[in-house]
Amino acid sequence: MSDAAVNRLEGDAVGPVWREQFLLPLKRFPIGLYPTFMMGVFFLIPFFIMLVVSFFARTESTYEPGFEFTHYARFFSPLFTTHLLVSVQFSVLASILSVAAAVPFTYFISRFRRRPQVIALVFLLCVLTLSEVIVAYSLSVVMSRSSGLPSFVEWLGLIDRARSWYPGYLANLFGLSFFNIPFAVLILFPSCTRLDRELTEAAQTMGASPVRSFTTIVLPLLDRTIMAALVLLFVFTMGAFVTPTWLGRPEDTMMAQLIANQALNRGNIPFAAALSMFFMAVTIILTLITVRLRRGDPVRRT
Amino acid sequence: MNLVRWSKAAFITVMFGMLAAPLLIVAGVSLNSKKLMFFPPKGLSLQWYPAVFETNQWLEALTTSVIIAFTAGIVAISIALPTAYFLWRHKVLYAKALFLAGVVPFALPPVITALGMLIFWVEVGHVGQIWNIMIGHGVFLVTLPLVMISLGLESIDDEILEAARTMGADSRRIFTTIIFPMVLPYMVAGYAFVVVLSMNEYIISYFLGQHATITLPVQLLASLRSGYSPIIAAASVMFILFAVVVFSLVARFGDLPKLLGAWTPKE
Repeated sequence: MSDAAVNRLEGDAVGPVWREQFLLPLKRFPIGLYPTFMMGVFFLIPFFIMLVVSFFARTESTYEPGFEFTHYARFFSPLFTTHLLVSVQFSVLASILSVAAAVPFTYFISRFRRRPQVIALVFLLCVLTLSEVIVAYSLSVVMSRSSGLPSFVEWLGLIDRARSWYPGYLANLFGLSFFNIPFAVLILFPSCTRLDRELTEAAQTMGASPVRSFTTIVLPLLDRTIMAALVLLFVFTMGAFVTPTWLGRPEDTMMAQLIANQALNRGNIPFAAALSMFFMAVTIILTLITVRLRRGDPVRRT
Repeated sequence: MNLVRWSKAAFITVMFGMLAAPLLIVAGVSLNSKKLMFFPPKGLSLQWYPAVFETNQWLEALTTSVIIAFTAGIVAISIALPTAYFLWRHKVLYAKALFLAGVVPFALPPVITALGMLIFWVEVGHVGQIWNIMIGHGVFLVTLPLVMISLGLESIDDEILEAARTMGADSRRIFTTIIFPMVLPYMVAGYAFVVVLSMNEYIISYFLGQHATITLPVQLLASLRSGYSPIIAAASVMFILFAVVVFSLVARFGDLPKLLGAWTPKE
């Protein structure tokens, strides 16, 4: 077939697809224009403007139209690379810690009887929706010198003189992991309820210990969900703002703080926009990986 | 065997205890009798609760947050219901793309969305308005009602719709008499989630508010920075109680495990 013929064929194929998949459905369901308008104007257009602004030139107080790669070039500066490394490090550790705690916890909750399970879920939702500000503040109370764990440890005689544990590396890591746990539970919960009880029961009647049946049957069945949870929580932690602001030291500054600082305090909107574009690209790639992981999930299919 | 049972019980207790700690600490601090943030509290007093309503700054932040949350819920539902219905009725690319656009906001780090929206409102010349945050939260949190309403639509039995059609009901009548009542609980649950999350959301409110519109979480962090007072804790406790009431109602009138994706065996 000649190239022209192929082009004509494809042209014919594209026309009906556009008509059948986009124009006709909208004709039959014109209300669909409203969500398209809302998501388009208030979500997609802002991202498009941000993309354009990321190439603009910075001026004294704001920015002016232009086309330059200066802001993207700054990705190779230590300002960016150190904070990126710090964020990645915290996010990897916090997602692993929270998922490690959440996997057995969610498994047990999924085995609760209905009423306690509903109560546990209401409780988890309340913790989940708790403002990051409240969580970070209350953890700082526990770790403060005057009231909390340090003075308790001093009272026990383990240390000579109590001092505040925050801001600090471990305080920040603990805060991030803590904040992730309810999310991890809710991500794992659907798959845990789909696990076939008969499998573990059979293993235990055949003499396997509960621990053994958990590690050899439950964990392998959940492996894809666990991977998906790790990636999602990694992305989620990368966006943390309030926790590192409150519990972390200046050297623990993470990506979201960097973006906020550049945009609001330094007024460098184009650089903040370029950072956001990079951040978004990474997020989209990671999210696509999780979607692929979940598609082949044997537990979800049953 | 017993050791395993004990360690399991201990693990569950520690997890629940740890997760409950912020709630208990904030509640404890709010009871201090002096203007100090001690935990455990020194001297008991409930004076900081009425103080939230008597201090202008706090009352304003509280009202702003409540107005934003309830409006954002309406915005989110108004987008989510037609999108979910569109995809359910017509499985076309357009509807799939629209659904995807509704799922994306939740997957992105909120700081990106916040910056994009801030630049948008700067370009439009409409900075710091309360409407910006209402629409911002509505669009940002649309994912939850969208997924929940879709769950509700999937649970409708095809035979009921078929029966209605053979008895001569047109699609508008089917929507108002069958579909809408059946997805209503899912809509209410989705609305509740948006309201609670909007009340607690920090970074979009902070970016879009621009010191002109101040929500309660923004006010909370600002006052934590400037000076301590148990009012902060009292305001937080009211927030927490609000979430407890909302989610208990959702659990009471809806199937919470199912809303959260639990698998229920078909009868």
